[in-house]
Amino acid sequence: MELILLPLLFGIVSFFIPGRWGRISSLLFAAISLVAVTVKLFYFQPDVKEYFVNNTGTYVLGMTFNMAIDGLGILMLGLSNLVIFLVALSNFNREEASKPSFNGLLFLMQFGLNGVFAAEDGILFYMFWELTLIPVFLMLYWYGAKENHKNLLTFFLYTLFGSLFMLLAILAWGAYTPSYDYNKLMYAAVPSQYVCWIFTGFLLAFAVKIPLFPFHTWQPPTYSTAPMAGTMLLSAIMLKMALFGMIKWMIPLSYSALKFWQLPVIILGIIGILYGAVIALRENNMRKVFAFASISHLGLIAAGIMIFSFDALMGSIIQMVNHSLIAVGLFLCADIATNRFGTSDLQQMGGLAKVAPRFGFWFAVTVLIALSVPLTAGFIGEFLLIKAVFEYQAVFGILAALTLVLGAVYMIRAYQMSSMGAPKITNVADLHWNEMLVLALVAVLAVFLGLYPNGIISLVKPSIQHMLENVQDTTNLIK
Amino acid sequence: MGFSTIVYILLLLPLLGGLTNGLFGKHLPKQFSGALGTGVIFSAFLCVLMLFNHVNEPVQIDLCNILRFDSFSLEINFLIDQLSVWMSLIITGIGTLIHLFSMGYMKEDEGYYKFFTYLNLFIFAMLILVLGGNYFVLFFGWEGVGICSFLLIGFHYSDPVKGISNSLAARKAFVMNRIGDAGLIFALFMLLSTFGTLNFVDISERLSEGVSMHHLTVLGITLCLFLAATGKSAQIPLFTWLPDAMAGPTPVSALIHAATMVTAGIYLVARSNFLFELAPLTQDIVLYIGIATSLFAAFMALRQNDIKKVLAYSTVSQLGLMVVALGLGAYTVAIFHVTTHAFFKALLFLGSGSVIHGMHHEQDIRKMGGLKKVMPITHWTFLIGTLAISGFPLLSGFYSKDEIIGHLFDQNPVLYGVIMVSVLMTAIYMFRLYFLTFHGTFRGTQSTWEHVHESPWTMTLPLVILSVFSALGGLLNLPGLFFHEGAHWLSGYLHGAPGMHNIVHETPNFSTTLGLMAVASALSIGVLAWAYQNYVRRGSVAKSDEALNGWEKLSNRKLYWDEWYDWMVVKPIEWLGFQTNHTVEERGLKSGISGLGMLTGKAGNALRKLQNGYVSSYLSWMVIGMILLVVFYLLNGN
Repeated sequence: MELILLPLLFGIVSFFIPGRWGRISSLLFAAISLVAVTVKLFYFQPDVKEYFVNNTGTYVLGMTFNMAIDGLGILMLGLSNLVIFLVALSNFNREEASKPSFNGLLFLMQFGLNGVFAAEDGILFYMFWELTLIPVFLMLYWYGAKENHKNLLTFFLYTLFGSLFMLLAILAWGAYTPSYDYNKLMYAAVPSQYVCWIFTGFLLAFAVKIPLFPFHTWQPPTYSTAPMAGTMLLSAIMLKMALFGMIKWMIPLSYSALKFWQLPVIILGIIGILYGAVIALRENNMRKVFAFASISHLGLIAAGIMIFSFDALMGSIIQMVNHSLIAVGLFLCADIATNRFGTSDLQQMGGLAKVAPRFGFWFAVTVLIALSVPLTAGFIGEFLLIKAVFEYQAVFGILAALTLVLGAVYMIRAYQMSSMGAPKITNVADLHWNEMLVLALVAVLAVFLGLYPNGIISLVKPSIQHMLENVQDTTNLIK
Repeated sequence: MGFSTIVYILLLLPLLGGLTNGLFGKHLPKQFSGALGTGVIFSAFLCVLMLFNHVNEPVQIDLCNILRFDSFSLEINFLIDQLSVWMSLIITGIGTLIHLFSMGYMKEDEGYYKFFTYLNLFIFAMLILVLGGNYFVLFFGWEGVGICSFLLIGFHYSDPVKGISNSLAARKAFVMNRIGDAGLIFALFMLLSTFGTLNFVDISERLSEGVSMHHLTVLGITLCLFLAATGKSAQIPLFTWLPDAMAGPTPVSALIHAATMVTAGIYLVARSNFLFELAPLTQDIVLYIGIATSLFAAFMALRQNDIKKVLAYSTVSQLGLMVVALGLGAYTVAIFHVTTHAFFKALLFLGSGSVIHGMHHEQDIRKMGGLKKVMPITHWTFLIGTLAISGFPLLSGFYSKDEIIGHLFDQNPVLYGVIMVSVLMTAIYMFRLYFLTFHGTFRGTQSTWEHVHESPWTMTLPLVILSVFSALGGLLNLPGLFFHEGAHWLSGYLHGAPGMHNIVHETPNFSTTLGLMAVASALSIGVLAWAYQNYVRRGSVAKSDEALNGWEKLSNRKLYWDEWYDWMVVKPIEWLGFQTNHTVEERGLKSGISGLGMLTGKAGNALRKLQNGYVSSYLSWMVIGMILLVVFYLLNGN
């Protein structure tokens, strides 16, 4: 319970902590919730669902306000707390961290995220889902590049627009059950001709958020103009809500429509892998390179989720966690490089590793993690995902594996253009301690999960298996 | 000490050496960094010797399980058998000498400790590669050596003149290897779904028990494995990175791009012999790729003027020969050539390093000449290396090449003729290189000449040791003409590895062997005489690049291979990237969506007016309301 409410309290308090203390308090708050969730994670029994709120009756309009976490839920909760902590830590030496509103929004965001991952009620899920949009929007609006408010509006309306279809889908589903409780929704006898529409509603919301090709156009301009914290929040954790939503809500609830949507979405995912990678090959804006790389990575994860087999889901979940880590790492490095050179144009950069050796080293490590080399979590994740896609359809697998090659090209190109060659600047500050700590944490976690993926797997295995059995039951029910 | 203890110590030594240098190297004196780096590799070599003394049956050492699913699991284990121990001997043995050499060669470099860190980590990854007990662990090492190779090729990435081209060469090597890695990944997938395990021992046992496999599956697996091998071992179509990789410091070229890493592909195929034996079509492809690579690379080497580039193409060509042996099913012969090649090619590269060091980083042989007077040790050892690689009678290369040629002659006399052309060209470019560098008169500037010097002992000692091995390495696997009991020792030894004993080994008969040897010797001596006549007596000197035409230009420009790739692959993909970004993304998708967005925006405006007109206050009320609701029910729910 405290996991959900603490960030809310922190958020409200942060609005009143004046600048000088703000950055310290926000780091402290983030650390407290991270510790709380870590402790929880260690003592968690993955084979039972732990309820925070469990109403058997219903309230207004069928809402129950039920909240619970299972293995997948606690993993995502841990991830969101971790990302918030890393965001707070990497902002520590930046001026945003001394703004009360910035810190307040950060924790309100965390409140929303935790709610999304714990919601056990359709309407509550939607409410938290939309709640996360507001802090991030305001953060981008107040702290982002001023000239780009048009992009921001596109982003806001686009995602809001997508989510409306999800609300419709949830409401439609609810019409056939007494309440919006997850378990009730799961076993609702929805006429089969509507299931596909409901699936579509969810899919639109998630496709915009992930973003899946061709719904991604809001993403690169937003990532490249947002403040660093905003980009990190968006890519490292907000889009994971959509992937999580696919696993927990969209597919189990409307499983019989999976047959219809499986192939199209996998194809979109594969297109996204190639599309993002091919653009990233020639893109000269460093942040946009990583933005398109993100589209490429997420296409594979989405394809894996749509395959919806145990192996593929495991790969997707590991890769989700890994992607959060590399998103934080890469966007931090991009921001540092941009700050030092005064531009995010790769062609005007060069030789940063020579003048800032610590940056050169940790950026190289981050790039290697992003390339999913063995010993990192990405290797296990991509291994499972490409294997699943390959077994689903060999040609898709081969196309998906092109990401291994193209990824090497654009990632190393970004590193090489920014950090190798003769230095184009002199006298720059190397990594600040907090930035180095962030990159080191990212690396340690990625390597830890690469060596011990069994940790994540044993945590989420019961809930995923339960889910896979349940969907079989419900499908029989409808037929 | 048990096997497993030795193996763990063996693996930990280079890792710890690398980490120590990496973490504290900046504060350590140079001599200490170098001595530490060299010392750990030498100790590792001693460990391998202990293994070498004890190895009998293949022993699998299980460490842990990384991933356990119902359908498959990914394990970390190591396999100690004759093949892995032999490869480890080469890696740590040659590795020690090259570390020692680097202590002298890199003395002036500010990144001294970094260099030893990377080298040690490379040895670690390479040992993981060859000691791995399954394809999964092999892949760890496979990627690891790729990363170290990337770091070392781009070692001088911030050089004001060559920094960019160095880092481009590093990137090219990494990307081309990644194409091969993708092949290896698919081989892993197919092996997993066919056997449910990746262990070499298990797969070879299953196959010898006669598990039936669809011939297309075997074909797919072996082709994917071979694709991986063409990446690492620089075969057509993925060979073009290796000549560029010469941008790295010379000891790196000797260790990684001649003696060890590039033979990983040969090792992979030899290790997978049980699979390749079931895929005759793949074996043919392997054979023809090997022949083509050997021929083309030898041709390209004829008119190269950078001392290291000549050796690089020669490496590609020799690797082609090893691949020929693999295609013929003569796996042990391929490993024999790996061994002798490691001796003489490491020797030649280190020799060229000594020359470059003495010449103060001049690499163009047109500006050398007459160096034998000032660099006697380098000269004599280089001569031995040259003789060995060009198949001069009774030196190591003579035996190992002859064995490959003999097998080829048995199978297909026409192809024998083709490969002899490659062998002939090898002798031609090697003697050209030798005579132009060490004989005749010095062609550089007077001031350079005054500073040319012989290298310090740390550099010449490895040269001497390697030259002894290059000369006598043939004893490992004598053809069995004279001493029957000592013959084919290495082949017999390697037969203990999984799958190898199933392979029937037909050695060519006495008179054929003798005849082939005579032809090869005649060829090598003939070329030596011709080259002496041409380059020393007539003093013929390599022309400048502009003066070349006809075949010489083709050879010098590497048959325009890079340009072909540029036009056929790189340019189209870059064009695609550009067009996708500017046409599809910006003009197509984005304007379409923003049109939609504008519509929504207008609708939003209209809606907003219905409220009090301030979006922020509307939002705040929504947030506050939601929060209150949630808090209420959360508290209530407990």
